[in-house]
Parts: sequence; structure tokens; C-alpha cells
Amino acid sequence: MSDVLKGNFKPQNAVVVPEEKPETLEERFERTALKRLGGSIAFVSKKKVMWDLKDKV
Amino acid sequence: MAKVLFINPVVREEDVPRHIPYGIALLATLAMEKGHLVQVYDENAWRKGEAVLRQVLTADEWDVVALGGITTAYGSIKTIVRLARRLCPRALIVLGGGVLTSLPREMMGFLPEVDVGVIGEALVTFNEILAMLDSGVRDWGKVLGTISRGPDGALIMSGQRPLIENLDSLPYPAWDLFPLEEVYFKNSESLFSEEGMMAKRRLDINGSLGCSLVCKFCFHLGITGDMRYEEDEAGVVNVAFDRKGSYTRAIRYHSPEYIVKMVKFAYDKYAIDFVAFIDENLMTMDQHSGRTWLKEICRLWHEYGLAPQKNPDGTWTGVCWGGTSHATLCNPEILKIMREAGCAQLVYGYESFAPHVMKSIGKGATPASNMRSFFWTLEAGIRPIPNQIIGFPNEDFDSLRANMEAWKKLGLVVKPHFATPYPGSEWFTVYRKQIERQYQGDLEQFILDLGDASKSSAIISHNFNAVELIGLRDLMMSFNWRQLDEYERIWRINRGIPEGKPSTLYPGAGPHLAIDEPAKPSLTLVAGA
Ligand code: B12
Repeated sequence: MSDVLKGNFKPQNAVVVPEEKPETLEERFERTALKRLGGSIAFVSKKKVMWDLKDKV
Repeated sequence: MAKVLFINPVVREEDVPRHIPYGIALLATLAMEKGHLVQVYDENAWRKGEAVLRQVLTADEWDVVALGGITTAYGSIKTIVRLARRLCPRALIVLGGGVLTSLPREMMGFLPEVDVGVIGEALVTFNEILAMLDSGVRDWGKVLGTISRGPDGALIMSGQRPLIENLDSLPYPAWDLFPLEEVYFKNSESLFSEEGMMAKRRLDINGSLGCSLVCKFCFHLGITGDMRYEEDEAGVVNVAFDRKGSYTRAIRYHSPEYIVKMVKFAYDKYAIDFVAFIDENLMTMDQHSGRTWLKEICRLWHEYGLAPQKNPDGTWTGVCWGGTSHATLCNPEILKIMREAGCAQLVYGYESFAPHVMKSIGKGATPASNMRSFFWTLEAGIRPIPNQIIGFPNEDFDSLRANMEAWKKLGLVVKPHFATPYPGSEWFTVYRKQIERQYQGDLEQFILDLGDASKSSAIISHNFNAVELIGLRDLMMSFNWRQLDEYERIWRINRGIPEGKPSTLYPGAGPHLAIDEPAKPSLTLVAGA
């Protein structure tokens, strides 16, 4: 990763950008489905699910 | 010498970053020329989240944290200045750009963390702020073009900053301080033409500042002579922009030599293959120069070896380009010359094909001039980008149909914007009360809600609400004439408009019902009977 700070001098502290995690299969699926959303293409955004087990029974 | 951290806030988050912020890039060069220590964090390009932003803000002992942008960057700006205030307690926080300029007093209220706001053109103001900081004085009221806080917290607006006269005196933007290779060149594609789509190394270039037109939905950032300082009855000075009977403009452009030399410099240094002119309206400049400006730019484009040489597969060597045109200001001769020099695409704000709508928006164009320019541009071999807007104050069923007919006839494939009263535009001034009412009196909520005008925010149509506009846009795009007719019948019943009267509530065009009168309850189902 190149420096995210760019300028005409060297700042006192370096900025360390954490490694980006590779896209998971789940993320790839949801991103691809979102592009074609509509009609029969509908999906669960798994990270947004609010589990409420009480209601389930 | 001041240690300056520029931050470019996130804008249009739903898309990848495509545009180096030209103003910030210029200010960075100007500050470096004066010997200041400058770093740029392009948060819009990197989008690395708060953890990285924290590191950036603590990477050094910043004297100045400077940021700015267009109004829709407000949400990001708010987050950044809050964090900056906490992590850089002794830094001067400076905000500029359209977001501040359109509403300086309100913004300083919404963002108590900001120390100094730069109103309008910052090219001279910003370095004067840095010079004052270096001198140990903090008397911002003496720096023209600023808004700051007095010891009692009251806002101090200094005098208006005059615009610089000679744009050619400006240095080139500090492109090297932005992630060209890492981010911007990767997002070179601009889906406005075949060449735009295939561009691999696009760069934005600004050739001029100004626009001779007075479109009521438009804002010109206070950097085009569009801004005046006015005093109200209470003696409070504030900025004022386009208003009926009061329009001001300054037209400024770089010389063709300056522009083409800058492009050649970028071609040699970065191997760019496409230039997107971000000028508001190239044709204004051409007309103002007595039709010499674009011709000369094109001549030099050839002379400097930039005119693209095409390969059979559509790729090219040289630099293709595009920009913004205007229906009444272009002509076939110049379009042809532009094409030969590599112009691939021209944005036309056609907005509408209904005569009564076109008459009301201040554009100076008509449906007929729209169509004429459309064919001229196509004939020249340039792709016209036919922008459309619906939801104008006097939009009605007739105008929607006129648009659909034109789209059919001209083969236009569009999803129109919604007329949006961005702060600084004439329609923001005219409809401010109605806008605030739609956000329960909370102007900041409206600003946070602003994004692309392809989504609905505050509505300024006298005839249609947001639900109707969204539905009507859908019917228009699918050319669903039947349901449009059907809905017009329902709409007339709901609005109590008798047979024989036009389907509109716009003052002067039918029964006078103002946009702010409470809507009558809807009786959607009766009409089918
Ligand atoms: C490039 C551009 C964009 C870029 C972003 C630009 C950016 N990061 O600044 C993108 C493509 C994202 C964009 C989007 C939109 N844009 Co736009 N865009 C432009 C454009 C073509 C060029 C801007 C520019 O570089 N100008 C020239 C430079 C020199 O000006 P500048 O950067 O503003 O800098 C000067 C001052 O403003 C100030 N300044 C700026 N930043 C800073 C920072 C500091 C610290 C300081 C001190 C001063 C300062 O000092 C600079 C020197 O004087 C202008 C038209 C134009 N030609 O100006 C429209 C314009 C800015 N856009 C406009 C609009 C309406 C939009 C959209 C809402 C349109 C839409 N599609 O719906 C969208 C918003 C999208 C979204 N979801 O957020 C309006 C105004 C918006 C506003 N109210 O602020 C403009 C003026 C066009 C118009 N006439 O209507 N846009």
C-alpha cells in the first residue's frame, strides 16, 4: 500500500493502513445479487439480520 | 511555516472515487509555493475509515487542518471536524468550498469545531490565513473572504474577497499529492462515450470559471462572480446569490496555450489518455472570446501532438476529451473542429423538452434549440449526453409527455434527475421555507439528505409530491402512456380540478394553490370509476 498521506515533507508518525481482508464468498454473493436486485432476485443481507429467537417459536 | 493537513472528505459514497478535488489540489500547490509544509489525505479516494483518519490526524503537530468540498460532502465533513477538534486541539480548522460558501453563517453554526470558513474563491485567502498564522496574529476579520468567531463567539464576516483576474497566473494542481495510480487512474472509466468508457488514464482539467446562464437550479460556488454580500434590515451582512432581477457573473478563462501546455505536461508525465474538462460550460467561454477560444485549443491540441490517432479496435494514442456544452451557444462548425481534435462527449443540460418548463428555468434554451444542438453534435460525431430533470416548479402532465415524446423521437435513454434546490441556487432562496418545512424546520437534515439529484430530497414541484415524482419517473421510463393518462384523471379529482381546466396548480397557469398549502387528502381509488 502506498502512503495515504502525500506531501512535501515527512510527517513525524507513519500512518499504517491495516491490510484489507479479502472479500468473503458471502460478501461477493450479496454484492453481485444487489446489482441485479428486483423481482425474483431478493436476498438476505446476513450482517443486517437481527436475530430474535423468541418470535421464532 | 505552517504545517498544513488538507483532507478531502468523502463524496458520492455510492460510487468509486473518480475526481481529484481541483480546488484543494490548487490550494496545496499555492501553499507549497509559499514554503509551507503540506500533506494531503484524500479520504474520498482511500475510504479507509475512522481508524486511519485518527492516525492521519495524529501523524504530526498540525497547525492547520483544512477541508472543503461540495454541499453533499457535508456528512463526511461533520465527522472529520469533530474528530479533528478532539485529536488536534491546537490546530486551526479551516473549511471552504461550496458547502461553506452557500450558507456561511448556518455552517459555522452547525459546525462549532470550525475556526475559519473561507467564503468563495480561496486562491488568495488561504495563503493569507497561513501567513497570518505564521505571524502569530489571529485576527481573521482582517483577511478578506473569511467568516470566523469573535471572542464572544459571535460570527465575524470580513469583507468580500475579489476574484483573481488572471487565471494563467495559477500553478498546476498538486496532482502528485493525490493517489493517481493507486485510485484515480483505476477509476478512469466515464460512461459518456465509447472513448470515455475505454479511458485508462483520465485526468480532470479546468479551463475556465464562470457560466453566462442563470439556471435556477444551479449554484456556482461563489467563484464565478455569482456571489454578492448584502446587508439585511438588522445590519447583518450575508452572502446572496442569483435572485430574480439580480444576477451577476464574471467570466474567466485560461488562455488556450496555458490549457494545452498543462494537458501536454500531464500527457508527458502521467501518460494520460483522456481529459475531462470540468468547466461549467465550455461554450460560454467560446462565445465570450468571439469564437476563438475553442478553435485555438483544438488547433494547439493538434500542434502539441495530442489529437488522438485511433486504432481499429477503438483504442488510441493521444488524448481524447469531453466537457459541457450548451444548446444555444454551440454551432456545427466548432463541434466539427472539436471532434477532429478528439472531443468524444459533451454534456448538455437539456433538462426538459416542454416549452413552458424551459421558459421558467432561466436556461435560455428551448426544446427546438435542444433538438438542433443534439443533431449538430451527433453529426459532428460527438456523443451528446442528454441530461434530463423532472419535478420543476411548473412540471405537469403535459411536460412529462413532451419529454417522453422527445425521448422516443431522439432515441434518448435516460433516468431523469429530480429538480433539487441545492443551497446557493435561486430555487433554494425562493423555496427555502417550503424546504425547511419538509424537514420539520431542520435545515441541517435537508443538507445531510442531499446526494445525487437522482434520488428525491426536498420537492419544489407545485404539482407533484415525492411519491408521485418517483412513480411518474418510472412510468415515463417505460413509456407507460396508459397509466400516465389514468393517473392524470385521478390527480385531477384529488386536486379538485374541473373539466376543461389545465392539469396544474402552478400560479399563473391554473387555479392558484401555492406549494405550501396543505395537500388535500388523496382519494386515489375513486377515479377509476
Ligand atoms: C468535479 C465536480 C464534482 C465531483 C466532486 C468534486 C469535488 N470533490 O469537489 C462529483 C462528480 C462527485 C460531483 C458530484 C455532484 N455535483 Co458537482 N461538480 C463538479 C464540478 C464539475 C467541478 C468542481 C471544481 O473542481 N471546480 C473548480 C475548482 C477550482 O473549484 P473548487 O474545487 O470548488 O475549489 C475552490 C473553492 O470552492 C474553494 N474550496 C474548495 N475546497 C476547498 C477546501 C478548502 C480547505 C478551502 C479553504 C477552500 C476550498 O477554493 C477553491 C479555489 O477557489 C462543478 C462545476 C464547476 N465547474 O465548478 C460541479 C458542482 C460543484 N457540482 C454540483 C452538483 C449539484 C453536483 C451533484 C449534486 C449533481 C448530481 N449529479 O446530482 C453531484 C453530487 C453527488 C453526490 N452524491 O454527492 C454543483 C454545486 C454543488 C454544491 N451545492 O456544492 C456544481 C457547482 C455544478 C453546478 N453548477 O451545478 N461534482
